[in-house]
Amino acid sequence: MPMKRIKMIKPFMALTLSMILTLSMAACSGSDSNENENKSESSTDTGTTKTDDATATAPATPSAEEAAWKLDTSPIELSWFVGASWYAHQWGDSLNSKYITEKTGVNVKLEVPSGDANEQLTLMMTSGQLPDLISMGSWETAVKKLWEGDQVYALNELADKYDPYFYKVAGDGTLKWYKQPNGNTYGIPNDSYSPNLMHETGMTAANQTFLVRKDLYEEMGKPDLSTPEGFLGALQTLKDKYSTYKGQPMSPFFAQGNVPYGMTEYLQNLLAIPYEKDGKVYDRMTDPDYIKWLKTFRSAYEKGLLNADFLVDSDQQVEEKTNNARYFMMIREWTGMAAVNPMLAASANPDSYYIAVDGPQNSNGDSAKLFPGNMDGWMVTMISKSTKNPERAIRFLTYLASEEGQRDLFLGKEGETWDNVGGKPELKTDLVNLVNTDIEKLEKEYGVLDTYWMMRNPVIVNQWRPEKSPVIKQMEDFANAQADIDSGIYKGLDPLGDSEVAVNWAKISQNWQEVMPELIMAKDDAAFDKIFDSFLSRRDKYGFVQVMEYRQTELDARKAKMAE
Amino acid sequence: MLQGRIRTFVRQWQLQSMVIPGIIWMFIFCYIPMFWLIIAFMDYSIAKPMLSSPFVGFKHFEDFLTDDRFWRSIRNTLGMSSIKLVLGFAIPIVFSLLLNEIRSVRMKRTVQTISYLPHFIAWTIFGGIMLNWLGEGGVINQLAIGLGLQDREVLFNSEPKYFWWITFFSDVLKETGWSAIIYIAAIAGIDPALYEAAELDGANRWQRMWHITIQSIRPTIAILFILAVAGILGSNFDQIFMLKNNMNLKMAESLDLYIYNMGLVSGRYSFSTAVLFARSIVALWLLLMANYASKKLSGDGIF
Repeated sequence: MPMKRIKMIKPFMALTLSMILTLSMAACSGSDSNENENKSESSTDTGTTKTDDATATAPATPSAEEAAWKLDTSPIELSWFVGASWYAHQWGDSLNSKYITEKTGVNVKLEVPSGDANEQLTLMMTSGQLPDLISMGSWETAVKKLWEGDQVYALNELADKYDPYFYKVAGDGTLKWYKQPNGNTYGIPNDSYSPNLMHETGMTAANQTFLVRKDLYEEMGKPDLSTPEGFLGALQTLKDKYSTYKGQPMSPFFAQGNVPYGMTEYLQNLLAIPYEKDGKVYDRMTDPDYIKWLKTFRSAYEKGLLNADFLVDSDQQVEEKTNNARYFMMIREWTGMAAVNPMLAASANPDSYYIAVDGPQNSNGDSAKLFPGNMDGWMVTMISKSTKNPERAIRFLTYLASEEGQRDLFLGKEGETWDNVGGKPELKTDLVNLVNTDIEKLEKEYGVLDTYWMMRNPVIVNQWRPEKSPVIKQMEDFANAQADIDSGIYKGLDPLGDSEVAVNWAKISQNWQEVMPELIMAKDDAAFDKIFDSFLSRRDKYGFVQVMEYRQTELDARKAKMAE
Repeated sequence: MLQGRIRTFVRQWQLQSMVIPGIIWMFIFCYIPMFWLIIAFMDYSIAKPMLSSPFVGFKHFEDFLTDDRFWRSIRNTLGMSSIKLVLGFAIPIVFSLLLNEIRSVRMKRTVQTISYLPHFIAWTIFGGIMLNWLGEGGVINQLAIGLGLQDREVLFNSEPKYFWWITFFSDVLKETGWSAIIYIAAIAGIDPALYEAAELDGANRWQRMWHITIQSIRPTIAILFILAVAGILGSNFDQIFMLKNNMNLKMAESLDLYIYNMGLVSGRYSFSTAVLFARSIVALWLLLMANYASKKLSGDGIF
């Protein structure tokens, strides 16, 4: 009998393996042809630039009152590096990108890193071959290196020369925010939120939410999850009554980004732990409320109410569990659920989607203080000095930053994808329906809304945003209500890069990533304290004092900038 | 003597010229970069022109030699490599010997093809498959529970003590067939007359395998062994990077991963180069030692 089974397994394995192989080969050849395309297009690119130079000699004077892109709409190609390996959109396939290319003459060749964006950009810097436009996460070390290494143009200088209209659209605040000590501004951010604006509109970029699966939460009678007792109680109920779902084990808890984000910063924000006390940067890690909650997690683990899966799962495993609604509670950015939630709500169990509720709270019962988004924004876009067309590049950026460009990028062409309804642009109904049913199709075929977010300015585009489906809106509203609007200034105070203090911090934070799981798996509270104390002394040894000094200096500098 | 060699070389120019691309490749990618080891002694910054960074002597070497994590990564690398060397080295040899004894050519080819296919799956994919197998609902847990070896699911990947074995077994699973190819090729080159003669002398299959097959591929084994010893401070970065997580990192962080985490992530190129430089020196020393030992013991060596 066993022999027979083995015989059965072999051909099956062979089949599986060969299938995997064919698939992987298909994937390989796919990317190969892409690369070839790249090459051939870049070679035609040099061709077009030559002809372009000839036409550009026609007299054209840019003015401060009018966008300069209209002066020259001859066809040209600009390469644009988007520093996010997951960014999968193309330029030229979608209706909207075709429209913009036709309108401005600029064809964009989007490039994404195959691995870590920072590494890839660094590599390109050493080779001296940079794409024309670069969008990078504002926190990445490569951004600073580009600025210091003088590898990107100062936008203000380009604007003076080719398109003074830039100053009109670039938003005084953001320009000032990214102004370097030498008086130049090298990048323009997207998703940048100023506190004033957030106070005014109540719209923030807050997305760190505490989510629970609606049906379970309600069946349990909406337990209070804000105290350790309530939290443990709910986990106990889950274990007793709902330990499996669709034949698979339920995972009680998930924290996004694992230790450094979900279990550290996000949890601390839920607990409303302050960043500063009396003008001094506060060490949030040692806050009694935070420790108390870590100990709560520890005791949940000890009682078998919590799995270690949330500390070890790969992204792919997390995605699988999320799509099958196998998590009960999550500390997670609601934006990451924007695609899954409608899907779950449309599934056979329509109440198995996630809703935002009050999660862990500090001993005062304060409501959460979520990061609201800040002036840094998300990514900054720069023009590299490798570009042969700085003139067209700055004009294109100016266009994209202007209200007209924002509308084109966000809504597309009037009459085609949106209509003017009573003086207000509105996306066509069938497209709005796609938002809730098949966002992928919307982005791929039409390329509107958040498809090309590299220059997205929330102040402008949010007014045109179609109403979100209720399962998403609930989370968003909840996060907005808990956003701590004036706390944007505290984001990313930690030193980055290769300076001595940054290395100290890298050592500390990497050590914390190892220590946190040990804390949660400690056998009792005494063991927890011991591990934590030894972490603190190691932290001192690695030079935590300098890190705190750095944070203080950084914070003071930011405050001074805000006051300007 | 020398003239004879030159004459042979000229006569074979078509064949000899085939190696030229390889030499060019090696010169560009292995020899020229050696010059840039110099940045191990500098505070190199990519924003500045090459060689204009200040010299700092052995600062970076001191940096890692005084770091506990560096020594931990050495321990992990040696641990994983030793398991691979001691237990894993013989596996492809045994596999190729067994394969050689299969009479049906079709069967032989099929087995060989299937066994080396996993080699072509990238670790990013294979690692993902492994993680699924090792997960709570994965095959391994189901199998172990089904066989009564354990009574509840174990998160294998959360236990540091399993990590070295996970890397070992997943590597065996993925690479055995591929590593056997070189032995299979060596076996194929053995003169069949030797077997026929042995058969006439009354040697059975075991004796033929031992006295002819193994003896004939001994030089190949020796070379691969020497190279394996020299590579003991290396590790399969892709594999470890896929399988590691915060919980098993204390056993998972190999030297490569240490260089990545402490060097490249923060853009410390000088530091990374310094660690790599030190590793290469040790690897060279190991290579010479292994070669010397092999020559003394069996007479086979690389040089």
